[in-house]
Amino acid sequence: MKLLSIKTIRAVFLLLISVASLSVKAQSDPTGQSAVTRTFAITNATVVQAPGKEIKEATVVIKNGLIEAVGTNLTIPNNAQVIDGKGMYVYSAFIDGLAYTGSKRPENVARPNNLFSPDPPNDYAGITPENSVLAQIDISSSTIGNMRKEGFAISHTVPYGRMLPGSGALILLGDKSHADEIMLMNDVSMFTQFAGAPGAYPGNVLGIMAKWRNLYRNAENNKKHYDAYTENPSGIERPERDRVTEAFFPVVTKQRPVVFDVAGVLEVQRAMSLQKDLGFKLIVGNVQQAWDIAPMLKNNGTGVFLSLDMPDMPKEAKGKDLEAMTEETKQLEARKMEFWKKYASQAAVLSAAGVKFGFSSLDATGNKIKANLMTMIENGLNESDALAALTINAASLLGIDKIAGTVEKGKTANLMVSNAPFFTKDAQIRYMFVDGDKYDLEIKEKKEAGKGNASEGSAAGAAAVVGSWTYSFETPQGETTGKMIIKNEGGTLTGSMTSGDGSGDVDMQDVTFVNGVLTFSISRDGGGQSIELVISGTVTGKTYNAEVTVSAFNFSTPLTATKDDGQ
Amino acid sequence: MKRVFQLIIIAIMVPLLSFGQEDDQVMKARGGKFALTNAKIYTVTNGIIENGTLLINNGIIEAVGANVKIPADAEVIDCKGKEIYPGMIDSGTKLGLSEIESIAEANDFSESGDLTPQMQALSAVNPNSVSIPVTRVSGVTTVWTAPAGGVLPGTAATINLFGYTPDQMFAGSKGIIMNFPSSGGGGRFRRRSPEEQAKAVERALKTVNDAWDKAELYAKIEGSGDVRDYPEIEALVPVVKGSMALFIEVNAAKDILTALEWIKKRGYKNVVLTGVAEGWRVADKIAEAKVPVVAGPVQAIPTRDSDAYDAAYANPAIMHKAGVKVAIRTGDTENVRNLPYHAGFAAAYGMGKEEALKAITINAAQILGVSDQIGSIEVGKKANVFVSTGDPFETATKITNVFIDGYLIPMTSQQIRLYDEFLNRTPGVKKNDPAIQIKKK
Amino acid sequence: MTDNKILNDMKKNIFVLTIMLFTGFVANAQVKKGDVLIKNATVLTVTKGTLTNTDVLVSGGKISRIGKGLNAPNGVQEIDATGKFLMPGIIDAHSHIALSAVNEGTSQVTSEVQMGDVIDPFDVSIYRALAGGVTSTHALHGSANVIGGESETLKLRYGSTNPEDLKFENAPRTIKFALGENPTRGGRSRGIQPSSRMGVEAMLRNSFTDAQAYRAKWNAYKADKNPRKIAPEYDLRMETLVDILEGRVLVHCHSYRADEIYMLMKVFADFGITKLTYQHANEAYKVAPELAEFGAMASVFADWWAYKLEVYYSTAYNATILTRNGVTTSINSDSGELIRHLFHEAAKTQKYGDLTDEEALSLITLNPAKQLGIENRVGSIEVGKDADLALFEGHPLSVYAIPVMTFVDGVKYFDRANDIKDQRIYVNPEQAVENVTIFNREDQHRCMDTEVVSFEALFSNNK
Repeated sequence: MKLLSIKTIRAVFLLLISVASLSVKAQSDPTGQSAVTRTFAITNATVVQAPGKEIKEATVVIKNGLIEAVGTNLTIPNNAQVIDGKGMYVYSAFIDGLAYTGSKRPENVARPNNLFSPDPPNDYAGITPENSVLAQIDISSSTIGNMRKEGFAISHTVPYGRMLPGSGALILLGDKSHADEIMLMNDVSMFTQFAGAPGAYPGNVLGIMAKWRNLYRNAENNKKHYDAYTENPSGIERPERDRVTEAFFPVVTKQRPVVFDVAGVLEVQRAMSLQKDLGFKLIVGNVQQAWDIAPMLKNNGTGVFLSLDMPDMPKEAKGKDLEAMTEETKQLEARKMEFWKKYASQAAVLSAAGVKFGFSSLDATGNKIKANLMTMIENGLNESDALAALTINAASLLGIDKIAGTVEKGKTANLMVSNAPFFTKDAQIRYMFVDGDKYDLEIKEKKEAGKGNASEGSAAGAAAVVGSWTYSFETPQGETTGKMIIKNEGGTLTGSMTSGDGSGDVDMQDVTFVNGVLTFSISRDGGGQSIELVISGTVTGKTYNAEVTVSAFNFSTPLTATKDDGQ
Repeated sequence: MKRVFQLIIIAIMVPLLSFGQEDDQVMKARGGKFALTNAKIYTVTNGIIENGTLLINNGIIEAVGANVKIPADAEVIDCKGKEIYPGMIDSGTKLGLSEIESIAEANDFSESGDLTPQMQALSAVNPNSVSIPVTRVSGVTTVWTAPAGGVLPGTAATINLFGYTPDQMFAGSKGIIMNFPSSGGGGRFRRRSPEEQAKAVERALKTVNDAWDKAELYAKIEGSGDVRDYPEIEALVPVVKGSMALFIEVNAAKDILTALEWIKKRGYKNVVLTGVAEGWRVADKIAEAKVPVVAGPVQAIPTRDSDAYDAAYANPAIMHKAGVKVAIRTGDTENVRNLPYHAGFAAAYGMGKEEALKAITINAAQILGVSDQIGSIEVGKKANVFVSTGDPFETATKITNVFIDGYLIPMTSQQIRLYDEFLNRTPGVKKNDPAIQIKKK
Repeated sequence: MTDNKILNDMKKNIFVLTIMLFTGFVANAQVKKGDVLIKNATVLTVTKGTLTNTDVLVSGGKISRIGKGLNAPNGVQEIDATGKFLMPGIIDAHSHIALSAVNEGTSQVTSEVQMGDVIDPFDVSIYRALAGGVTSTHALHGSANVIGGESETLKLRYGSTNPEDLKFENAPRTIKFALGENPTRGGRSRGIQPSSRMGVEAMLRNSFTDAQAYRAKWNAYKADKNPRKIAPEYDLRMETLVDILEGRVLVHCHSYRADEIYMLMKVFADFGITKLTYQHANEAYKVAPELAEFGAMASVFADWWAYKLEVYYSTAYNATILTRNGVTTSINSDSGELIRHLFHEAAKTQKYGDLTDEEALSLITLNPAKQLGIENRVGSIEVGKDADLALFEGHPLSVYAIPVMTFVDGVKYFDRANDIKDQRIYVNPEQAVENVTIFNREDQHRCMDTEVVSFEALFSNNK
């Protein structure tokens, strides 16, 4: 089933082209950043048209946002900006199968009073499939440029939220001034995840599975009602206009796939069991543990976007440490390594089993993507299969293989140009073309050893976190705000949190700051039982984006904090 | 037909099981002179006496042996076919300190603050706790009842399970409880590196060491006349001087090793490790340090997901075989009556019956510092003994008589009284009871 | 492509192939069935007495013959069980192991949720239960709600990554209800109903009255001959309640006090619901004659009590009183610890009430099977039944008994002689090797009353 009709694609294109050409011809640009022309010719390059299909010393001509021609001995248009591609490699730019790229986490929904109910308000419960990610798109988001730097030109971006946050859209990772300009296609998927509402129904995977069935089966019924009414309203009760049920209609008719964020192997199987019960079209995304279920995915024809995240490789003990290890510890360490290899070779295993998959950056940090891809290749994934997953397979899973995924005449000019074969360690991206617009990337000198990793070992980079912060996070009682104070006491980080509910200071335990990630825990008294809350997240400048996890309740909620001024 | 058969069984069983208790009759303990005759007596310290007699007089074991002369004024209890054991001792409970776990007001084993070693468990023991009779009719006559909570939560005490005031119950020893800083923990979402764990332990140890440094200083300058009143620190002084035992709760293997180092460095002579869930991993080291342990609960799940399923069952045996002196505890409150089963599991998983029995009698008494009084059947010791129909570890075995401090304890408890009342309830079900008038659909 | 590169790719392919061989693909739910001959055991059949020096032949996962001097068909493994005791696999009618979530505790009636959705085949507790002779568990929803979710009866087929493999095929549907302190806790802390045992009854009656109305609406719709008829709203919650009214779902109700146990019988009598088992039921002994007359069953602890007010007036003689009054009774664990020695828990009824060996063993085999509606498949050693078996060194009712082998469908899932310590199926490569959690008795009790502390309470000032 195709996601887009050719007609729509054409319509979108015409629109995009007209917008783009306007921007070139009709606007002055005092910044001097606009291109002089949107016609380009990359000459003398090795063009990887598709996985396994390579042309040496070839030229790619780009015009009006499209690939005008690919080949050797081409005539270069007069108005083209010529880029000498000698020694360079041209690829179809990558497609991210499932991401938050370009979307911004909305403000927390206010906590309603009537929470302990089978039917809490939809927005709090996280049941808003009628929403579109469009409402969350922030074109100034740095994530767009960051993912482009990694070689991506198209992102299947989904909204933040809980169980059913809304529909996903395909966006072009270009720098534009209006959200519409980067929109390739809206409403391409119904995004869903096993994320319960804090203290409200559905609170966890149990309620979510049930709610899913209920919503779907009701939508099936309601669809019949709507259809009958549309056909002839005479004598039929007017159907209630229910936005949630209406949002399910394209899913019920299998026009729109359901994209599930399911990292673990059990979650993947839960999504598949829902699909088996209900019959919708399923894509599983952000998958991290599918090595044992490859045949099941293959037989079921389930679309897969594997996570670009990967656990850190266990450190291998050497020398004295190794000697000090007991036989038992050695065996346990060996099992850790065995499982790390399963993660690392998952893509290879799926590929060998014939599962068609793309990749998802949902849980991945941008700067680890290339390294993780290289790890997958070292662990058995063919380079051409890796490339296919990043390009044509992703395009095909998202229904845009007619316009993206290969370097072919007539396709959108989404190209990645690197200074060496991409899947080599030192290869760097020199240019990105997104929708025909050129972006130059700096070629970085190799990092000096030890530099750029200053925060390794908590004390060194501690200055970034030491001080006073104002935090807020959502509890079942509503938003809790307060101060967190972090100190560096002789190389050891300590801290305390004050909470807005007047319950006094709580000491932070085990404060660590490693690689930009600040982690600590606090204990709260839950009726005589000490409950541990673990807070962990990334510090970017003066912002701390973290997740509060209460494992005792299998629950987590976001926490944000801002460093107080004057420090 | 089946029903009739059941009724017959009931008719036969009831008198046998309720130990002759009459309705509403108040049963009291009785002191005096008792001769328990024709029994197989497990002295624990001096072997087994077949067909022996045990003479109890005025709370004390006056004689024991195969040829004991029975005084004319002694009440004779014929124990033919039965066995006599020293009362079982549970070396780790909260018995008497907690009545109903979920109700805060019914719990008195924990004080506010990390350093509260002067808090006396004995003062908070409720001699009338419903759990006490439930426990002692199963043959457990003595327990270590201990505070819990902070780093130094308080002073524990050995108590006999009979008496009307805490002091009547007091069995003669006390000890300071210390929770050793733990490197374990961390929930499912917790990713603490070993280095981070070590740091956390180090920080916690600092608090501990500060307190003990002060205690050592206090002990040194105590007599100088110019020392401030400092109950928290004063409470630790007897440990520094070796006149009171320190009970260190510690479980993870790494922590046990740290604790052993700590003990060595401090030079404290009278120290016991409790819990020691991962003692089996470092049994040799514990034996080498000559520190006794109170292990348990034995019926427990292993400390690590990667551990063998029977790690906790086998733990006491492994430590014993390495040469560690082992006592066994339940760590329980209302179900201390299960002590023989914890010992039974330890016996089955490598310890053997004899050693497991020691672990809840003489070893326990030695570790708790009351072996001059109890823990074995010896002349001159307190008459804390029980009579059973057989091996007390075996689940089906019945305890028929219990003596604590020489008192013959009534074999009743709230649970037995409820049994007596409800086994054959009067009235039974009524024909017109609305709960059984099921409406047809 | 250079030759070198081809070679490299080939190497990689071989590597992938090797990985595949080691990983071993788990095919779509196709459960393993075993063949085995267990020779010369003391067979505790539970229904047909004790058979000494007896052989049990298992073919295709079923018990095919019981007798003396049986010969193993070609290729069938023979196990010498001389001096050992063979009993039916132990069934735990109350367990929360092998689950990723226990409570959907956010609402008082959640009959639509299903534990079958959240099976966790990786829980190492499954192996530990097998090592205690357990072959089946009743994976129950928690007790935070008056009407909780549908539970799932499992067979402990450890080793699979597919949750479906653990489901007990064709076992009847069951659902969890809860009375007393737990379901009123939510109401009490929020000032809404139910805040008392009165409110619990009212909520039960309201729910079933709603279900009757829902059923009537759908029946009317189904009977409607109008081709343009419009279906009423679909409600999975009501669907399940209707199934309970129609007897298609067995109710297992968390309860403690005699009054609440009695109340539920009255409510069920009024709504014509008869399939009822009480869980915990510490005070069931007080209304044992009523239970017997109603036909309700009870699944109880051997001796747990006093951890909360509603279990203060308990007696370890509960199972005996119930049994002697003719109530089908089982002993359960509700704990990842106790489940490993249910045979010992059952034996406690011989101390507290002198049940016979057969009666005591029934408490953990045939009786829980009856309560789960699977007694035609498991719960005793009989020809034609599933070969879910536990082999013991020593009589299972002895404290010294050691389970040595456990079979599900004739497949051996536990063998003490070949026990590998680390039984984890999945390993987190980022987790420290020394990940120590100290067993805590209090946690175990909390397990039993899942979510004694509500998440709300953590942030509330009125503690």
